[in-house]
Amino acid sequence: MSTVNTASGSVKMRFSLFPGCIAKNMYASIEKSTRFVFDHLGIELVDHRYTCCPAPGVFRGYDIDTWLTLGARNLSQAEADHLDVLTICNGCYGSLFGSNHILQEDPKKREEINEILGKVGKRYDGTIQVLHFADVLSQLHDKIIENKVYDLGLRLAVHYGCHYLRPSHHHESINVENPHIVEDIITLVGCEPVEFKNRLSCCGAGGGVWSGNEAVGLDVLEEKLGFMEEGEPDAILNICPFCHLQFDQGQKKIQKFQIPVLHLNQVLGLAFGQRPKKLAIHTHLVSTREIERKVKKLKKKRKE
Amino acid sequence: MNLVEEVAWESNVEKCVQCGKCTAGCPSGRQSRLRTRALVQMAYQGIDVTDNPDLWACTTCYNCAERCPKGVNTVDAIIRLRNLAVRRGNFPKVHLTAIENLYNTGNGFPLSPEVAKIRSIIGLAKEPYDVSTDPEELSKVQKLMDITGFLELVRGAGQ
Repeated sequence: MSTVNTASGSVKMRFSLFPGCIAKNMYASIEKSTRFVFDHLGIELVDHRYTCCPAPGVFRGYDIDTWLTLGARNLSQAEADHLDVLTICNGCYGSLFGSNHILQEDPKKREEINEILGKVGKRYDGTIQVLHFADVLSQLHDKIIENKVYDLGLRLAVHYGCHYLRPSHHHESINVENPHIVEDIITLVGCEPVEFKNRLSCCGAGGGVWSGNEAVGLDVLEEKLGFMEEGEPDAILNICPFCHLQFDQGQKKIQKFQIPVLHLNQVLGLAFGQRPKKLAIHTHLVSTREIERKVKKLKKKRKE
Repeated sequence: MNLVEEVAWESNVEKCVQCGKCTAGCPSGRQSRLRTRALVQMAYQGIDVTDNPDLWACTTCYNCAERCPKGVNTVDAIIRLRNLAVRRGNFPKVHLTAIENLYNTGNGFPLSPEVAKIRSIIGLAKEPYDVSTDPEELSKVQKLMDITGFLELVRGAGQ
């Protein structure tokens, strides 16, 4: 169970936060905004001593059993505290949802992995769930509106990212061919999703392609950026730090585009009234100055 | 049946009717030589594809598996074929850095001093709460990887 009863009798949501390598170690601005947003929403995030999820394409591509063992160890940390895992990255979601699915559905494999975990005094029984933060936010529309300070008025090119949508058996609650869950959330804080071609396509980073086949990954990215630019967005909106990294670093490498990149929690953080500097969005490679300027204007207007 | 064929069978490739929807929807294939249809078909025929660099051009986006009318799990087939390729020393050596990082810190992307500084400026713990800052827990993680033989496998095959 990921809820606790508070003194006032209401139910409080609690999760084990799985920030993932990139939000922790490369784009700390995403971890910061996540903690800010979930604190405002009254959701408690508990920290555990996690490793990398490990990455579903690259590490699983090397050794499925190592991937499953480390995944099971991660899950065992949250299970020991009876908490569901909250991911803020599609890679972590795909990896941990996938390993959890195997460990829950295949008792023989679970015992095989538990035999390994037992050597370091751990065990995973498959009793918890792995959630993606966008799905949790989609259940909290009222609370998002309650916490909103500004209607941001940003035009956003929404990028879902592959491991949120596929394999679709990871996500039976949404229409993976035509999702609108993220558009619904950003609309709550006065943002407008822009239309562009092939909107559900890949960013080109996954599967070890980012490091192992960079030129191919950047070609995939460039095509997508071209379509996005036609929609004239103020920013690219993502729900995955790895896609975020690809859009932010990739634009610097391609040197053809200058579209700011924002994670959904950063947009919500801004809408909840936090100053852009406090969320450190200026640490991105592609300048976020225009976004900062727009938020400053809203603040000024509010004071008047 | 050789190992490559075994992988193909485990991924239901025998159901493939060669319609090519997998290749048609492949974002990486638009920009590279990766032809998912041909790759899994070759594996099914027992042709050794473990030295084929196209195996590593897949972004694991799952478009192909999702659209396959016969339910062939093409991505998982590619992942399993990669596992086999690694055992034969055929993989992009550039990944060794991420693999060493995973073993040494628990993270594929470790913390840099620059980001540590940003973390403390914006009010996060300078070092994240994870295994990288807990030597005892990290040694347990390394023990798990020693048992699965991960580093040995990659290093040995990489030579």
